[in-house]
Amino acid sequence: MDVLLNDDENLIVDSAREFLTHECPTKLVREMETDPLGYSKTLWAKVAELGWQGMCLPEKVGGSAMSLVYLGLVLREAGRTLAPIPLHSTAVATLAITKDGTPAQQEKYLPDVVVGKTVWTWAFTEKDPRFVPEAVQMSARAEGDGFVLDGTKLFVDNFPAADYCLVVARSTPGSSGAQGLSLFIVDAKAAGISHNVLITLAKDKQCEVNFKGVKVPKANVIGPVGDAWPIIERMLDRGTALLCAQMVGAARKDIDMAIEYAKFRTAFGQPIGAFQSVQHMCADMQMWVDGGELLTFEALWKLEQGLHASVEVSQAKSFCNEKCEAAVRQSQSIHGGIGFMMEFDLQLWFRRVSAWSMRMGTSFEHRARIARALIDVPGEVTLGRPLPGTPGAETTPSTWTTRSAAAVPA
Amino acid sequence: MDFAYTPEQEALRRDVRQFIKDNVTPDVLQEADTESSTAQDQPRGMSPKAAALYKKIYDRGWLGITYPKEYGGQGKDRLTQYIVEEEFTRVGINISLGGSGAPAIMAAGTETQKQFYIPGLIKREITFALGFTEPHAGADLANLRCSAVKDGDYYVINGQKMYTSAAHYATHIYLMARTDRNAPKHEGISIFLFSMDTPGVTVRPLWTIQNNPTAPIGTTYGHARTNETFFDNVRIHKSCLLGEENKGWRVGSMGLNLDRVGASRYLISVRRDEDIVNFVKNNKFDGFDPGKNPAIRDRIAEMWIEAQVCRLMTMRSMSIVERGGKFTYEGSAEKVWAPEHGVRVTESITQMLGPYATLLRTSPHAVMDGVFGHNVMGSFQSGINHGSVQVMRDQVARRGLELPSSRRSAKKVEAK
Repeated sequence: MDVLLNDDENLIVDSAREFLTHECPTKLVREMETDPLGYSKTLWAKVAELGWQGMCLPEKVGGSAMSLVYLGLVLREAGRTLAPIPLHSTAVATLAITKDGTPAQQEKYLPDVVVGKTVWTWAFTEKDPRFVPEAVQMSARAEGDGFVLDGTKLFVDNFPAADYCLVVARSTPGSSGAQGLSLFIVDAKAAGISHNVLITLAKDKQCEVNFKGVKVPKANVIGPVGDAWPIIERMLDRGTALLCAQMVGAARKDIDMAIEYAKFRTAFGQPIGAFQSVQHMCADMQMWVDGGELLTFEALWKLEQGLHASVEVSQAKSFCNEKCEAAVRQSQSIHGGIGFMMEFDLQLWFRRVSAWSMRMGTSFEHRARIARALIDVPGEVTLGRPLPGTPGAETTPSTWTTRSAAAVPA
Repeated sequence: MDFAYTPEQEALRRDVRQFIKDNVTPDVLQEADTESSTAQDQPRGMSPKAAALYKKIYDRGWLGITYPKEYGGQGKDRLTQYIVEEEFTRVGINISLGGSGAPAIMAAGTETQKQFYIPGLIKREITFALGFTEPHAGADLANLRCSAVKDGDYYVINGQKMYTSAAHYATHIYLMARTDRNAPKHEGISIFLFSMDTPGVTVRPLWTIQNNPTAPIGTTYGHARTNETFFDNVRIHKSCLLGEENKGWRVGSMGLNLDRVGASRYLISVRRDEDIVNFVKNNKFDGFDPGKNPAIRDRIAEMWIEAQVCRLMTMRSMSIVERGGKFTYEGSAEKVWAPEHGVRVTESITQMLGPYATLLRTSPHAVMDGVFGHNVMGSFQSGINHGSVQVMRDQVARRGLELPSSRRSAKKVEAK
């Protein structure tokens, strides 16, 4: 048990931060907001040289097979500088291929990812915005030696830049919920696909993607046909935890700017940071981002260890959604008017952290998932110990219960 | 990063649990729970059953775990201490030396003082009452007035201390007193250690709102009693001085900082999270099943997440200390989050259970021994004592984030 970074982890952070500080000024971030593809090809090529795309991919395809925690740290740094690269969406898709794809799929697609030649994304959400399997309506009809996809996906990240997209669809007609779902590797330029870019808070490239009779060969199915929900859920969990890492990185930089601003901006004859009301705001912001960071890296660490981590992931996202948002909003308050002027950089962070808090599961959805694990599984819960029904949970009642839980008089 | 316990640490936890199951019986607990006692004249030191239990715990090597062997400790790491402390705290047995005066004595004591006090504190043969707060000095502790005037080889103490919670059973007092009236307020303070039996010391009980009925074990600040202690020409030898004369402020703050972190502080703020989950899993009230209500489920999950943040902040402090580092603000952050969370979860539960949460321990229809009602009266206390959450936020801002102190800036501005 040691929740601080070790030497190797610090090394990754230091080198990523040094690199991005030089290579990713806010000028680039601003330019990419109006760029049709929304990302810097130069920066994408440079980070491939550093091995970021291949960080957690297998060694046989040229990757480094490193811990998910390292990728989380890199995404935290990418969030810190708002690096306009499709690293998150590429990681979500390619990690699914790494963990659950066939060797043939890995050998076919992953070498190009490692060298920065391809950009990936993934498509889950549709008109129903909930982050649950019930929300998936899109159909994948078996036909000949493959499937035909029909339907519309929404909020697909980086689609204009993507070469490939992992698509979640219903391959069992008439199925619902977690049943009957499959995961497909789809060529983003395939016939029958069209997209519209959504105009978002973050000015990123979230898209509506329409699929009309899109043919996908059987070889492009990841996992079992009609029974891919466990694979999809793990993909979404990894993606959610990695998005949290990006959020805490961005939120940290944002509050650092507010804290520095409070030290030199004067009002009523003293720095505003000497006013206790401002000090307490800053203290809260620091503790919120700290909390989000601790929850996020616990989730990533547990995912990496192959431990049951759904609850940890949902803890991190729910907390980050609310507390990172609150932190960057307080930064805006501390800055006053200048904070929301376009020419001032703070707004770049504010808009992105806000937007990320709305993706990959709302606080209510994540808390509903936690409540299910806490309340609906029989057995006593103990803080800091594995929950009932998960590996490692104590099967005998603890020795310390001093009162009976069945205490309501008849 | 490593978020797991080792197999050895897991085995240790199992050992402690087994020990507790075998030895910590309700009658022993009742006697050991001295701070909730409503007896007017409690004898000093421990009751026979509690003493026997602590002897057994000591024999297992679970007291003074992080203290050096030459002073009766075990010379082990802080995480071992954490695991053992966590299990014992859950049944209401305090095995930590937080709030005991021991950290300050280790840091500033003479060899004689260390040899005398540390083994005694570890074995629970010595207990200190902490004499810090006064009627006019709470958060602004350095404003204290209790005086110690030198008279040859002696000091003569006069004054009054408030909220000396252990004074009715403690063997000794750890007293902060003013030794120089003319020095700036932080620089005229000294610390003294002496017997509670010294002539001129009197203790008067102050009954808390947890007084009647007394709170069940596990309540956040369920103590029924604290005290005020008066010092009337109390003569003590100069060897009772801890550290140097007039340097007591620094010594005192060292002890307090170490008091704000660890398993006990974390657990007193999060136990209701477990209780409410385990309660709604097994109970309903006729047609009302709180565990199925979506708003209640959402709030329970929200509170559970906050409890995890408290745990992880505690682990962060452990990691820093274990690596030989020092906190800048992390201990203070923990002391904001845990107490405030404790209040939020307690108040959330009152709105889940409605009138049932008003019921105290001995009431008909009380749920979970009335712990939720008692917690309403106790949880907020955690945000007041050992440095209020407001003072802790100041420290996060000033020490952690290096924001300027308001008075200093004001002076600078005046100078201009």
